[in-house]
Parts: sequence; structure tokens; C-alpha cells
Amino acid sequence: MKQLLSPLYLHKRLSLTLVLLAAFIWSLFSVTWSRDLLHAGGWATTVQILEGLIKPDLSPDILELAVESSWVTVVYAVTGMTVALIIAFVLGVLGSGVLVSSRPVRIVTAGFSRAVLAIIRAIHELVWALLFVAVIGLSPYAAIFALGIPYGGILGRIFADMLNDVPGEPIQALRAAGASRLHCLMYGYLPLIRSNMISYTMYRFECSIRSSAIMSFVGLGGLGYQIQLSLADLHYDEVWTFLFFLIAIVVLIDAWSNSLRKRLVL
Amino acid sequence: MPLIELNNITKQFERKIALSSLSFHVKKGEMVALIGPSGAGKSTLLNTLAGITAPNTGTYLLDGVPIQHYKKRKELAKKIGVIRQQFDLIASLPVIQNVLAGRLGEWGFFKSMLSLFLPQDKQLAANALNRVGLLDKLYDQTSKLSGGEQQRVALARLLVQSPAVILADEPVASLDPARAEDVLAMLTKLVKEEGQTLVMSLHSVEYAKKYFSRIIALRDGEVFFDLPTSEITKEHLAELYLLKEMAL
Ligand SMILES: Nc1ncnc2c1ncn2[C@@H]1O[C@H](COP(=O)(O)OP(=O)(O)OP(=O)(O)O)[C@@H](O)[C@H]1O
Ligand SMILES: [Mg+2]
Repeated sequence: MKQLLSPLYLHKRLSLTLVLLAAFIWSLFSVTWSRDLLHAGGWATTVQILEGLIKPDLSPDILELAVESSWVTVVYAVTGMTVALIIAFVLGVLGSGVLVSSRPVRIVTAGFSRAVLAIIRAIHELVWALLFVAVIGLSPYAAIFALGIPYGGILGRIFADMLNDVPGEPIQALRAAGASRLHCLMYGYLPLIRSNMISYTMYRFECSIRSSAIMSFVGLGGLGYQIQLSLADLHYDEVWTFLFFLIAIVVLIDAWSNSLRKRLVL
Repeated sequence: MPLIELNNITKQFERKIALSSLSFHVKKGEMVALIGPSGAGKSTLLNTLAGITAPNTGTYLLDGVPIQHYKKRKELAKKIGVIRQQFDLIASLPVIQNVLAGRLGEWGFFKSMLSLFLPQDKQLAANALNRVGLLDKLYDQTSKLSGGEQQRVALARLLVQSPAVILADEPVASLDPARAEDVLAMLTKLVKEEGQTLVMSLHSVEYAKKYFSRIIALRDGEVFFDLPTSEITKEHLAELYLLKEMAL
């Protein structure tokens, strides 16, 4: 059966690749590759930006401001990820259907959860931010929910897929030993996906730092907000100071997640 | 009253008949080996006995009660325990958690959740591991153990579960001969000590003769012979495996 199917399958994949390639090439032609891509004063600005890179503003005032806004950015990201994890865990487990034994009930609950996950992640965090700012104003909650909801959608979808990909044998063995479905989740599914789940969550955490910085462009404070102010004043040396802080945070998180992964690796 | 009572069990997969009109009884304390060529239906039979596969026709009484009347997992887990070739353990959990999984049917919700962080009934797990010679591995991560050790952890889990019947589907097939013999000797010894009943499928006729008192041979989903080990002759075995090849 498989052998019969595989040429057809290969064929399908090949044509899909060709279609995607064609779309990519076509998109290259639809960009107007003219000189107006760079605006007139572009070169002078580039030089100024590069000067800022070599000599970032390291005055105590700016450093203090950078530390403060880094803190805000990290706090938004951490609380946002907490919200995301709660959403992802609940909807991911429901969306995988591993807790439900009756087939019709499983199809309904899993389908519904997966649909919710799809909808909340289809809307970008910036759009969520604008929505929340419109509704509750410039409050930290706006930033936290704007981050947490779409990230919950992304993480939840991945968790559900991971749970569905768990091999059947160990779970069946647990069932045979008298375990209920909830037992299987706690003693089987979750331990089996634990290390993948943690490394993916850490990766998303890193992304959330960047999102959190960007989010503050809408006026919610943090590194992005400071970058925006300095950019408006054409203080590229300050911009670089803030960017270096952003890079430092991401590098630190990366180091942390690496050490976590090493400890958890099978 | 026999512990296992199969009458005219038939199982069909699409067009393939895996079990055709199978009947036999197993008494308490019996040690039964299932042998037969590949595809004979050994795994299908064991899955049916475990209640994992539902037969198309026929009746299966477990301890006098039709198998479909065991509605609760934990009731069935008291009667039947299963051990398979491999991949049966949760590799990312410590050994002790895998052993204690045999208690999940007994524990309430809070006890089983608590046990993930603070292992409960630790003495029980330690005793079981001691009997399979792995007491020093109590807190090791299961994935770090060798194949033979993992099968012994699976045995310890069965000890903790303590079912009346143990069904084993080629539990030593993935081990090297020395390890295989260790695990087999250990399993049969424990089953005898606990007064349990054992039904095991095996590829090795030699092991079947050495460790079992009764051998059921399957071929093409039917019982080819069902005899005490002492009555089995070379001719029986030659016929069981040879005819199959000629038919091909
Ligand atoms: N889920 C299934 N779907 C379709 N056919 C199946 C399924 N399970 C088993 N079969 C078929 O039923 C027959 C018996 O299979 P079974 O696995 O019970 O044999 P076995 O005696 O355990 O063989 P082996 O010694 O190779 O493990 C085989 O022909 C097999 O192809
Ligand atoms: Mg088999």
C-alpha cells in the first residue's frame, strides 16, 4: 500500500515545491527595484547610524534608563508568557483529545479547542496590543494580554501536536496497568514531551522578548519605547545602547535555555 | 473453574483472518507458551486476552466473567498485566515512577499526583526492584538503562500491579541470548512465587520447552497443537514450521 502510494506522494510534493518556487520568483519581480528604495538622505543617515554603533551612548542617565526599560520589557515578556502557558496548556491538552475516550466528544472538544487556538494566533500581537490599548488604555495589562493571547495560540497548537505524536506503546502499557486517562497524561504524555516542550517554550520566550520590545512602540513603555523616542530625536548612539541591552537579554535567555536543555536531555 | 476460557474466538482484519474459531482453557497457575510462525496470530490472541482487541465472534470468560463486563480499567488491571517486547516504559521518568505506575489503578487522584513529586509507597517499589535485582537503580532515569534492565523494570511494575494473569508478547525478543535467558528465568520464577498464571508468546521453541509446562502452537489463526511440554516431539515442531514454508 505504502509503496503504491509513495510515487504519487513524491509527485505531489514535487509539484508543490515547483508552485512555491514559482510564487517566490514572481514575487521578486513584483518588487520595484528602483533607487527610491533608499530615500535621498539615506547615505548620510547610514553613516550616522554606524557612528552610533561604534560610540553608543554610555552616560549614566542613558544606562539607568536602559536598565529600567529592559526590566519593563522582561517583566512584560515573563508575565505574558505565563498567560500564554496557561492558555496553551489548557487548550493544548483539550485540543489533543488525549483526555477524552468517547470519539464524538473528542472530535467536538478537540476541534473546538484547536479552532480557538487558530483564531487567537491568527491575530498578530501588535493588533492585539492596539485592541487592548483601545479598550483598557495604556496599562501593563494591555501589554501582557496582547503578548499572552497570540503566544498561547502558537504554543497550544504545538503542545497539542506534540501530545498527538507521542508513541502509542508506552501509553497502552500504562492503560493496561490500570491508569486512567488523567494518569496517562501525568505519567505518560507530559513526561514524554517534557524536554521538547521546554525547549520550544524557551524559544518562544526569546521571541516574546523581541515582541515585548516592539510592543512598546505603541506606547506601553520598555526598550522599544525608548528606541522610538531616541530615533525621533535622531540620537542613534542612544538607540544602539538600547539595542545592545535587547541583544544582551536575548543572549542571556539563550544561554539559560541551553543549560536547561542540557540538564533535561534524555 | 478455569481462569481463562476462550470459545470459538474469531478475529478478522479487513480480509485477513487473524484468529479463526479458537478455543482453549487456562487454569490458575498454569504456564503456557504460545509458539508458531510469524503471522500465526500470537499477538492478536494476546491482545484479545488483554481486552485490547475485541474479537468478532466467540466468548471470552476471564475468571468466569465475560471480558466486556470489566468496565473499569482498574478492575481489569487486577486480573491482567501485560509485558511486551520493549518501548513499554516512560523513558523520561525515573525508574521508581515507572515501577509505581503499577499502583495507579489503586491510587486516588491526589495520591497519584503527589507521587509524581514525592513517590508514595516507596517501600513497595523498592521491594519489587530488589526482587529483580535493580534496587540500586531506584532513582536512575529509565532511558539510561540497558534493554535487559528495562525489561526487569517492566517486571517490577508487574510485581507492584500484581495481576492474576500475566500476558507476555515476546518479552525477550529484543535482547541478546544471555540477557533473554536472565529475564525469562526471572519472570517465570516470579510468576511461580506469586502463584500467578502466565501466557507468553515466544519465538524460541527451546525456551518454551525449558520454562513452560504447556505449549500451544498456532498456525494461520488456528490451534495447531495444544500439549504438555513433555508430549511434544520433533515431528510436531517440524510440521508446525515446515508445512508453512511448503505452503509458501
Ligand atoms: N491491526 C491489524 N490490521 C490488519 N491486519 C492485522 C492487524 N494485526 C494483525 N494483523 C494480521 O493478522 C495476522 C496475525 O498477526 P499477529 O501479529 O497476531 O501475528 P504473530 O503471530 O504475532 O506474528 P509475529 O510472530 O510476527 O509477531 C497477520 O497476518 C497480520 O498481518
Ligand atoms: Mg507478534
